[in-house]
Amino acid sequence: MSFIEVVFAIAGLFGLFTGLAVAVLSLTWMERKTLARIQQRAGPSVVGPHGLLQPVADAMKLATKEDMIPNYADKLLFWMAPIFVAVPAFMIWIAIPFGDNLAVRVLDLGLLYLVAISGIGVVGLLMGGWASSSRYSMLGGLRAAAQLVSYEIPIVIVILSIAVLVQSLSLDAVIGGNTISIGDDTRDLPGQGAIPFAFIMPMGLLIFLIAGLAELGRTPFDIHHAESEVVGGPFVEYSGAHWAVFFLAEYLNTFVISALIVILFFGGWSWPAPPESLFGNDLSSTATNLIGGAWLMIKTYLVAIGIFWIRGTYPRLRIDQLMAFAWQVLIPLSFVNLVLIAIVLFYDWPLWVMTAVSLPIILGVGIAVQRRRGARGRPQTVRILRRSAGEIGVPMPPASTPVTDQVQAGG
Amino acid sequence: MLSGLKGLGVTLRGALRPKVTTEYPKEHLPIDERFMGFPALTWDSNRVEPYCTGCMVCVRYCPTQCMSAQMKDNDKFVEGDSHRKKIIESFEINLSRCILCGICVDVCNFDAIEMSHEHERSERLRNANRVDLPELLEMGKKYQAEVRWKQSKPSPASPNEKAEIKAVSEAKKASEADSEATNKQSEAPDSGEDAA
Repeated sequence: MSFIEVVFAIAGLFGLFTGLAVAVLSLTWMERKTLARIQQRAGPSVVGPHGLLQPVADAMKLATKEDMIPNYADKLLFWMAPIFVAVPAFMIWIAIPFGDNLAVRVLDLGLLYLVAISGIGVVGLLMGGWASSSRYSMLGGLRAAAQLVSYEIPIVIVILSIAVLVQSLSLDAVIGGNTISIGDDTRDLPGQGAIPFAFIMPMGLLIFLIAGLAELGRTPFDIHHAESEVVGGPFVEYSGAHWAVFFLAEYLNTFVISALIVILFFGGWSWPAPPESLFGNDLSSTATNLIGGAWLMIKTYLVAIGIFWIRGTYPRLRIDQLMAFAWQVLIPLSFVNLVLIAIVLFYDWPLWVMTAVSLPIILGVGIAVQRRRGARGRPQTVRILRRSAGEIGVPMPPASTPVTDQVQAGG
Repeated sequence: MLSGLKGLGVTLRGALRPKVTTEYPKEHLPIDERFMGFPALTWDSNRVEPYCTGCMVCVRYCPTQCMSAQMKDNDKFVEGDSHRKKIIESFEINLSRCILCGICVDVCNFDAIEMSHEHERSERLRNANRVDLPELLEMGKKYQAEVRWKQSKPSPASPNEKAEIKAVSEAKKASEADSEATNKQSEAPDSGEDAA
């Protein structure tokens, strides 16, 4: 690696870090404004024009707060957990392409890298949950592990089906298309300049969006830090700067998932209008990259707002619903998606066949899920608990007795 | 899934509705005319003095004893410009104590005290909510202007007005007497007979 390359890499990292910090601040502001709009409130409006400086004030407050570590905490793990969550969130951005061949490090195995790095965050959450020596933290950490590992699978399978579609693991190929040659047979595989993969693989997009939300631990899948159940999950005992790092990582991951949705399904920097198609080929590479980056950022922010919109709409799922949804619906569906795209490519059918087959499947599965949810009634886990408690002789109140009656009888 | 999309539609429609928050210190909600704020003293713009005579009825009826008042002889009465023999000299209400019950307004015989629209008093000092006569009158004037306040019954005449009225009526009588006299003279024959 030459000296110039090292300088560029360092400059790129520095720019990335600064840009991401700003992105996180803007995302927190946007989330609060979006939720406020949905609830007909004003949102932050005091610090700065339209409350724009509110995130800065929040950051200052968090940074200057006392950083408490519980007496019985495993100090080293407790201290390292936020780092384990935040560092991968930053590392993912190294491979994200902002333009043609423009990333901090252009990786040929970009998709693999994304999957590999995004799996590390779970370790941090589990560490934080364990090290806090608090039951809520522990429960939250275990929930996080169960949830994130489960939802990792559909994400990986969907990414795999994209890799099958472009015959490459490189993110540049995902956006710009790919040309492969096997023997004499040379074939151009589609990029997303003309038709983004969202239209080819709507099922993949839906699975990726849902599983992505679960991977972020955002509503409606935020059971691992559900305030009403486990108080704050792995973050219960954290305060001040440590907590701020968790928070930072959460919003960074939101941004990552938004960016991934844009790159994998909405054409990254090239759709709806590739810079070349706008201004011809005589444009300087800097200008091209700027336009491409702008496309990417605009679309990423739009997807992020969509995620906030979803947060403002849906209530939280129960943990059994959440796990059941992952294993019974999303994972089979993602395999169906993978097999479908493989079949379509193998028989050289036009790609709209994929769309045409996907849409009825989505509709049918959606209706089936809704019917089943309505019919199922009480959660499975409670029934199991109740039965086992009866078997081992633990006295349990009858299911229909209101709590107030018991209190009166006891007193 | 379909109900999920419906839910997104509901929140989207919610987002398009105007916000219901009033950002209080910057914006204020409109106050109703019958709103009952802190009590204030009214101003008699005809006589250019307060309505209050310092009769102490409100002070005695106040359940929280938040008022004190003192009366004095009214100079304007001596000069004949006002019908009030006594007038308020000093009046103080501790608005921190006032419970805005409105009893003072009910018991006042002179329309002198009203529940004004003043309701936003936040002060740094403990005593800063004790308001004195000029301030109470200011609050009252503001309130009178806002609701186009009218006294419930007309004031009795002042000594000067009485004198004036007397003079006018006497003059009238005199002129009537004159005209009657002339009438008598002209109708003398008939009336004279009748009288007799």
